[in-house]
Amino acid sequence: MDLISILATVILITTIGTLVVGVAAYAAFKLRDKRRPKKKDPTASDQNQFDHPIFLKRYDPKADQET
Amino acid sequence: MGLSELKRYLTAAMVLGGILVLGAYGFYKVRQFDLKSFSIILESSILTAISIYLLIFLTLLIIRYAVLIMYSFMEHLEYLVKRNEESHAEQISDAALPMITLVVPAYNEGMVIQAAVRSLLQLDYPNYEVLVIDDGSSDDTYEKSLAVAREDHNVPIRVITKPNGGKADALNTGMTHARGEFILNMDGDTKLSRNTLRACIRHFDNPSIGAVAGNVKVLNRDNIWTKLQALEYVEGLAMARKAQSFMRAVNIIPGPLGMFRKTVLQQAGGYDHDTFAEDCDLTLKLLMRGWHIAYEPTAVAWVETPSRLLDLLKQRYRWTRGILQATRKHRSAMWNPRKAGINFFILWYMLFEGILWPFSTVLGNLFFVYIGLKYGVVVFLFYWWLQLTILDIVAASYCVIVEEESPSLIMYSVGFRLFYITIIDISKVFATIEEWRGTAMTWGKLQREGKL
Repeated sequence: MDLISILATVILITTIGTLVVGVAAYAAFKLRDKRRPKKKDPTASDQNQFDHPIFLKRYDPKADQET
Repeated sequence: MGLSELKRYLTAAMVLGGILVLGAYGFYKVRQFDLKSFSIILESSILTAISIYLLIFLTLLIIRYAVLIMYSFMEHLEYLVKRNEESHAEQISDAALPMITLVVPAYNEGMVIQAAVRSLLQLDYPNYEVLVIDDGSSDDTYEKSLAVAREDHNVPIRVITKPNGGKADALNTGMTHARGEFILNMDGDTKLSRNTLRACIRHFDNPSIGAVAGNVKVLNRDNIWTKLQALEYVEGLAMARKAQSFMRAVNIIPGPLGMFRKTVLQQAGGYDHDTFAEDCDLTLKLLMRGWHIAYEPTAVAWVETPSRLLDLLKQRYRWTRGILQATRKHRSAMWNPRKAGINFFILWYMLFEGILWPFSTVLGNLFFVYIGLKYGVVVFLFYWWLQLTILDIVAASYCVIVEEESPSLIMYSVGFRLFYITIIDISKVFATIEEWRGTAMTWGKLQREGKL
């Protein structure tokens, strides 16, 4: 087996490995990007905090003074 | 020259020499090659068609490298002559220099914003202001920026906070509030070289120049990914952008460093929100309006690049889709060469680099792996890799010399072709398919490590 054949085999193995890693890394990136905390989870981060109104009742200072 | 530098030069020379010896040996062996092996690719019409396609692609690639190196070398010579002339000409007095506003958009850059703003106070220019736009950060970016603004220094610093609207929106806010005749847009995590403002402003002596693109270099060269990106940046800027600058048609003013005439930016309507590559989109808008765009190699923006593979893919995914979106916005110029002039070539070149190149290299790898596994002829894959690696090494050597970069970067050309660019190209191919299918995407924010 001459030098070219040895190098060619190394490059074949590396290329196959790289193609697999490339696709797997892309899939991992997409998966990671899609993962979000569930909306119902009370410990969820503030990513979606503006989806629902924060103040359920309008704050009225006069009413506050009367009480 | 120190011992470590000598060692780096020797290593680089050995890599260069080794690959040339390998090329010569490969050429010698190919002459002894059993020509019957070539009959494999003539076995089916699909294999023949792919072989012919790859041959055409390789020819285009060689032409591309040759033209870019030639043009960039001409630009380099022109630059040296101009610098020589300027050193003999009468210097413009500091009082005559126009005001420049540095717009620093920042979103959750609390870790790096103070170092970034403080580094801007060291710039060598008599008349400039710093305008930090806090784009609704949820961290302490605003407070930290204000703290620096309150410190005692000669350069005026203003901090504006606004609801989160994205980078384009922040830069547009900066444009509206800028007091300078010229605007320098940058990223919140960027460190500029001291001469940036003086180096960029002199291009505007030419009234047809609407903007100047700066040189971007990788700061955090800590691991294999960031070192490979450093090589990629050096090649992309020293070769491609310099060649484009020779034609005064730089196709992307990089986000970390771009200087504009304020009037030009306003007339173009600032940055649009409809692409994920707002810098590319704005550059194309300026080119379509007939403005010339120059490149300034000595104005350097040091940036922190992704040090992890998934972050890198996220960044490239966004760039690929953003560039495709920007190209599609200006596609009318692609079918109207007479009216579009040089913009016609720019857009087709961008599509070649954005779509054809990654698809072809992935196709080439898959094709030669298939030939190797099915017919046991592995040497085709070796010669395919060798040709591309020789092109990369020649380009890297040229760029390292011109940019006065570390010669050790040349060594990374082997790994660059062996695995790095294949992984990047795979993500570009998927990004292109998703863009074509119209898959929804979100703006990805790179997590800073605070290396600035």
